[in-house]
Amino acid sequence: MPDSLPALLGHPLFILPLNVAGFLGGLWLYRRSGTTLLHPIVGASLLVAGSLYALGIEYRDYQSASGALYALLGPAVVALAVPLRQNLAIIRRAAMPLTVTLCVGAVLAPLIGVGLALLLGASGPVLAALSGKAVTTPIALAIAGKVGAAESLTVGIVVFSGVVGAVLGPSLMRRLGAGDPRIVGFVLGINAHAIGTARALEISALCGAFAALAMGLCGALTAVFLPLLAGA
Amino acid sequence: MPGHPKSSVRISGRAGGWLAGAALLVAANLAGNWLQASLALPVPGSVLGMLLLLLGLLVYGSVPQGLAEVSGALLRLLALLFLPAATGLFFLRDLSPADWLGLLAATVLGTLASIALCALLLKKLLRRYGSGAGPHA
Repeated sequence: MPDSLPALLGHPLFILPLNVAGFLGGLWLYRRSGTTLLHPIVGASLLVAGSLYALGIEYRDYQSASGALYALLGPAVVALAVPLRQNLAIIRRAAMPLTVTLCVGAVLAPLIGVGLALLLGASGPVLAALSGKAVTTPIALAIAGKVGAAESLTVGIVVFSGVVGAVLGPSLMRRLGAGDPRIVGFVLGINAHAIGTARALEISALCGAFAALAMGLCGALTAVFLPLLAGA
Repeated sequence: MPGHPKSSVRISGRAGGWLAGAALLVAANLAGNWLQASLALPVPGSVLGMLLLLLGLLVYGSVPQGLAEVSGALLRLLALLFLPAATGLFFLRDLSPADWLGLLAATVLGTLASIALCALLLKKLLRRYGSGAGPHA
């Protein structure tokens, strides 16, 4: 293989536009198709992975060239404080039920996941990645570093759970007689994270606010306790 | 302050607000990282930064507009930020079939079971202790 071309293709000045183009392509596909199954992250990662295979770029080179995006993840987690602060008045009114459900859900979501995988004989790294299931991706990534889980596996699980929950969750809850927008939003925020929050925003603003709240709180809770458990 | 030439102040004020908001996010992140490192806490620095910022906003009393705008923009771009990590899913090769089966079952069945249980619990709790303002299901 010639030296200069791979070096050029693996350079941040090529990789970053590739990421942005993939993201815009994913967004376009999502809006065109109108199905939650094709959430932007699904289409975008397919487009980027296809380009990497087609151009023969190593994933490791691509990953290190995408450093600028990784650097923004920290501030994005910090930014979750803003919707939390803005929704504080609504939280207070239903504080007790929300707190109990949050604590139960934050334990239940990863526990059911890890339990099922354990029954089916999955290995340690998979179990570690599953334990971060109930948090939104940027927080899951930060936790994955702490508990030693593979980051792409962690993100894949979070994204896939998000798609499953966002697509099937609302109709499942309606069938259970729990169609209250506060319930649908909060439960989607716990179990389907950012993708569920996006879906909840499509249902109503109130639903979206409860989803953002649950996503932020559940992430903070898991982020505090999961590394403690893993370290014990 | 009244009496300023409004149009020029608004443009520079908006850019300044954005910059100040971004600086605040980075500062909170750095403070969280520093706190995490110096106290050897097991929690990610960015999460500590989020808690610090939330505390700051509660003390300050409201969310500055520049900070709200920058945060909104950043959160709308979340999918782009974790695109490199999500793409890595297509480059995982060292997983056994049992691993894949476990993953699939855990994500699909686990997510649905957890959604059902959480929804029923919250419904019961809201009916008993909530404000009762919600519509009847």
